[in-house]
Amino acid sequence: MPEVNIFRLSLITLSMVITVLLLMAIGSFFLVPDWSDVVENFFKEEMLFSLRLSLWTGLVSTVLVLIFSIPAGYALSRYNFIGKGLTRSILDLPVAFPELVLGLALLLLFGNTPIGKALQTMGINLVFTKAGVVAAQFFTALPYSIRILKNTFDYIDPRYEFISRSLGYSQFETFKNIALPLAKNGMIAAVVIAFARCIGTFGTVLILAGGSEDLTNTLPITLYLNISYGNMGMALTSGIILITVSFIAIFVFEKTEAQL
Amino acid sequence: MSFLKIENLQVDLKEFRLKGISFSLNKGEYLTIIGPTGAGKTILLESIIGFHEPLAGKITLAGKDITKNLPEERRMGIVYQDYALLPHFTIRNNIEYGLTKKFGKGNPSIPERVEKLSEALNISHLLERKPGTLSGGEQQRSAIARALAVEPQVLLMDEPLSALDPQTRKRTRRLLKKIISEAGITVIHITHDMEDAWVFADKVSVLKDGEQLQFGTVDEIFHRPSCRFTADFVGTSLYPGIVEKCDLCSATVNINGLRLCSKDCAVPVMSCVDVAIRPEHISLSDIYPGEIPYHNIIPTKLIEIMEEGSTCTGFLSCKDTVFEAQFDRTRADALRKRVGSRLYATVKNDNVRLLQKSD
Repeated sequence: MPEVNIFRLSLITLSMVITVLLLMAIGSFFLVPDWSDVVENFFKEEMLFSLRLSLWTGLVSTVLVLIFSIPAGYALSRYNFIGKGLTRSILDLPVAFPELVLGLALLLLFGNTPIGKALQTMGINLVFTKAGVVAAQFFTALPYSIRILKNTFDYIDPRYEFISRSLGYSQFETFKNIALPLAKNGMIAAVVIAFARCIGTFGTVLILAGGSEDLTNTLPITLYLNISYGNMGMALTSGIILITVSFIAIFVFEKTEAQL
Repeated sequence: MSFLKIENLQVDLKEFRLKGISFSLNKGEYLTIIGPTGAGKTILLESIIGFHEPLAGKITLAGKDITKNLPEERRMGIVYQDYALLPHFTIRNNIEYGLTKKFGKGNPSIPERVEKLSEALNISHLLERKPGTLSGGEQQRSAIARALAVEPQVLLMDEPLSALDPQTRKRTRRLLKKIISEAGITVIHITHDMEDAWVFADKVSVLKDGEQLQFGTVDEIFHRPSCRFTADFVGTSLYPGIVEKCDLCSATVNINGLRLCSKDCAVPVMSCVDVAIRPEHISLSDIYPGEIPYHNIIPTKLIEIMEEGSTCTGFLSCKDTVFEAQFDRTRADALRKRVGSRLYATVKNDNVRLLQKSD
């Protein structure tokens, strides 16, 4: 009989225990509710509004995140510049920040400040508006996306780009023809994670965009509002939708990460 | 006028510095850069093509200062040791990539050029395949085809043969020599393998710790290494000696009491020198060969034979000096029973080089 490896056994047991616990927590979402109630809640105007708002703000934010994180990830991966370390740390900060603090910081920035006022004169009001939802989601998801893309570009041998330059292509053409296609899987991963973060963001959205019903109540806010009203069915339904989105996101992420 | 001129090129990459590299090449000349790992060979190559911005210095190509030019404006091709074929392209797309930029998409001359080059490099049957499915030799030939397709003014190669197995390396070396001499292209080739320098090079540059120790013809580098490091690196043995006599066409040097005659006569009498003799220039005989004009005959004792791949090195002692001689395995088999006995070493005056001591 093979010798029992205590170390190995204890590590595996620990992983299994925590997995089972997590699975039970997630499973309770699907076991506890009355499904006819969930279906009924799903089609309620408030829930559909919330879902629609979450999806479109999530999509807009994800596109914005990608537009900013591709160049930022590339610059952090490829170039050395003064203040690079500081830039990285600052861009990473929101990952460690409590969402409420990030929301408050954004509220202060876009409120009664020259930047806030300048944006308002351009017709962009980010405080307690749907645009504010997008801004909150954008700043929450951005660091994750930059991180993924920086790592992706780190893995791409810069010599592919050197070769392209030596064959007559400019820096931009090389970026377009070589770096971007080779970073395809990283970009898919960044989109998935960014979208999941955007959909799931609660604290930042609550503080910057407010939790107004029929205006800025994304799915997590609907969940929170309904919990506070004692409306468990609606809270559970929004929770189930959020979990489903997360599952799809993680599934796609795992799939693409395997190919990175 | 030289075609490619590098003057005092200095590059600072924080973790590594190139310290004032200078050399010049005529059109069609072949330079091999040799040096140990970490000498800065690849950085030098990448600085010449413009991937690293120099701190100081000047690069002139065909009479034009290109120091500030972007890599895409320099018309230089590069081939890496690990080929760096674009993994998301087929071999055909890889070769066409530069041609599309040069001639425009859909230009009828592109497929024609691809066919011609792939035929010459024996990769016609691989054109529709992705790089990952090819062997090392096939990938390297494809990378060479891609670089040559755009007819660069200078071809830079970073250890193009070192990742190949010995048989493939031999075949690719032969093919490369043919293709390059036909193209009449100026080449800079980094290598660890002295054989590459012998086979290809007109000029050799020796690099160590970001510094160029010596630049010269193959003969100069291998026979007149300027310092102990270069001598060791290119396999030339150095023996310390003192110049006793010097006239218009020869000099006599004393190595631990052994007097050798050299054709180098530009050395001051009584100066300390390193006597450079390549091991393959020493031949051995069992009996005294008699006086041979312009040859030194050294009575020695064979103390050991060491096998080094296809060749062997014999260690011969004479008056407290141990000389190294190189011969093939057949000769080694014959000499093995002579270990411990007297042998006569013969070396031509031409092949005894006197180097003024620099280190």
